[in-house]
Amino acid sequence: MEQALVAEATDAPRTADIAFERLYRSSRDDVYAYVASLLRDALAAEEVTAAAFERAYRKRNRFDPERGEPRAWLFGIARNAALDELRRRGRQAELTAEPADAETFGGHGDDHSERRLVVSEALERLEPGERELIALKFFAGLENREIARVLGIGESNAGTKLHRAMTKLREACDGNA
Amino acid sequence: METPREDRLAADLQALRPTPRPEFAAELDQRAAAGFPRRTHWRWTPFERLRAIRPHKLLIPAGGFAVLAIAIATAVTMSSENNDSANLAVLQPGEEIQKSNQATPSTDQGRSGSASAEYSNVVPMASSAAGSSAAGVEYEESTRAAHGPATLAAEPNPDRRSVERSAELVLAAAPGDVGDDSAKVFEAVHAHDGIVMSSSTREGKPGEAAARFELLIPSAQLGGALAALSAIDEVRTRHEATDDITAPTVATGELLHDSQARIDSLLAQLEGAESESEREAVEAELAQERRHRAVLRGQLQHLERRADYSRVLVRIETGGAEAPSEGGTWGVGDALDDAGKILAVAAAVTVVALAILGPIALIALLAWLTQRAWVRRERRRVLS
Repeated sequence: MEQALVAEATDAPRTADIAFERLYRSSRDDVYAYVASLLRDALAAEEVTAAAFERAYRKRNRFDPERGEPRAWLFGIARNAALDELRRRGRQAELTAEPADAETFGGHGDDHSERRLVVSEALERLEPGERELIALKFFAGLENREIARVLGIGESNAGTKLHRAMTKLREACDGNA
Repeated sequence: METPREDRLAADLQALRPTPRPEFAAELDQRAAAGFPRRTHWRWTPFERLRAIRPHKLLIPAGGFAVLAIAIATAVTMSSENNDSANLAVLQPGEEIQKSNQATPSTDQGRSGSASAEYSNVVPMASSAAGSSAAGVEYEESTRAAHGPATLAAEPNPDRRSVERSAELVLAAAPGDVGDDSAKVFEAVHAHDGIVMSSSTREGKPGEAAARFELLIPSAQLGGALAALSAIDEVRTRHEATDDITAPTVATGELLHDSQARIDSLLAQLEGAESESEREAVEAELAQERRHRAVLRGQLQHLERRADYSRVLVRIETGGAEAPSEGGTWGVGDALDDAGKILAVAAAVTVVALAILGPIALIALLAWLTQRAWVRRERRRVLS
């Protein structure tokens, strides 16, 4: 569906605008979630998300559907913008949006919030690259082939890395529990 | 097939997913609806700003810059071409002037010829060295009495610049007009009290028919004479040069003054000579000094003539790309010639522009590739 939308986008400026509008609607929250997980700063994430969409909008006529899915293209732009922001700050990438505590996830004593706190702490212990993979998969909701396109690696490689990251996360959760 | 445990982990991760503030989402929606207008506070690098400009918006300034660059390059090229031709013109008259100097009428050197005769008529020469040396003591005394030493020395005023001028004029004429143009050259020279040192005229086909004149024009009338000569036919090249000869003129004048003072002294000694042998010795020295004075006087007069009269070389040429056709009309051949020249200039300008822009573009490309590689490396480092 999205492939078809962007294919239309190359036909005429007006069609490209409509296709981009649809891409924006379907990806806005996903891009924010991914960028926020990289930056760990809500305000900066808003700034970078807006900039990423702005850049993508300016480049919309240059998008080549043969080089990948539109979401992968959009997340590639968002990733570069977020990494540039991190470079500017000189900070290490952090995958968790906020320092997590039990209140963040539903209050004291709740079994779900307890478990999510454990998951959040386990995420903190992963390598930045592993946290990014998980963010792309579960925060942004990308398919493995889209993740591979965003990171510039092969699809099977992306799947393998994601599997390892999830295994480490599970082990970390078990260690925390 | 994911296990329930994996499903639960995935669900927990999705629950941890950051969500945008509703205010931000609404603001972004508005910006999306407006086509993402540019925000002034966004921290873009200059490179990003340049890239953000749409290509068609860059076309007009880039085109303007290119036209300006080509115009400047054309002007520089044309200017350098003119300078080259001017330099050539400088060399040619220089050679001619040197030759002419050898032929300069000078009674001191005993040269003769029609040109010398004409020159002598216009520029009355002072008494020759031989004549003055033949004169006796009485002549010297009478001269001194009549004019005084200052007049005899004819010293140049150091405050007045002595400048030698020369000019070369090349006229383009149709073969049938060479004769008429030559007659007009004579008229112009005589109208300005000038002298024709030499002239030659040759009839024939285009390229063969030509005329050449070596002229002496009073420096005071050089401007008017050149204007009159330039009006005869189409001017192909015109060059004027000046040479400041104040220093040698003043130096020669001072030497002449010293020589005259020495002669005066010797004459006084001669009057007071008591013996025949002493008188003969003084007379011999006096004769030698008079010869020296004559040489100096000749040199000074020659310098003064160089300042008073300007050498002008006039050539009338036919044929060549710039020669006008019969009757002065502009034909198809002229148009093709002009078009060829314009194309040649345009090609030269293009080559020059490419020679300049090529390395710049290469450097810019390398800089862009380096910057891109560096940015990618830095992005990888951020997550490593």
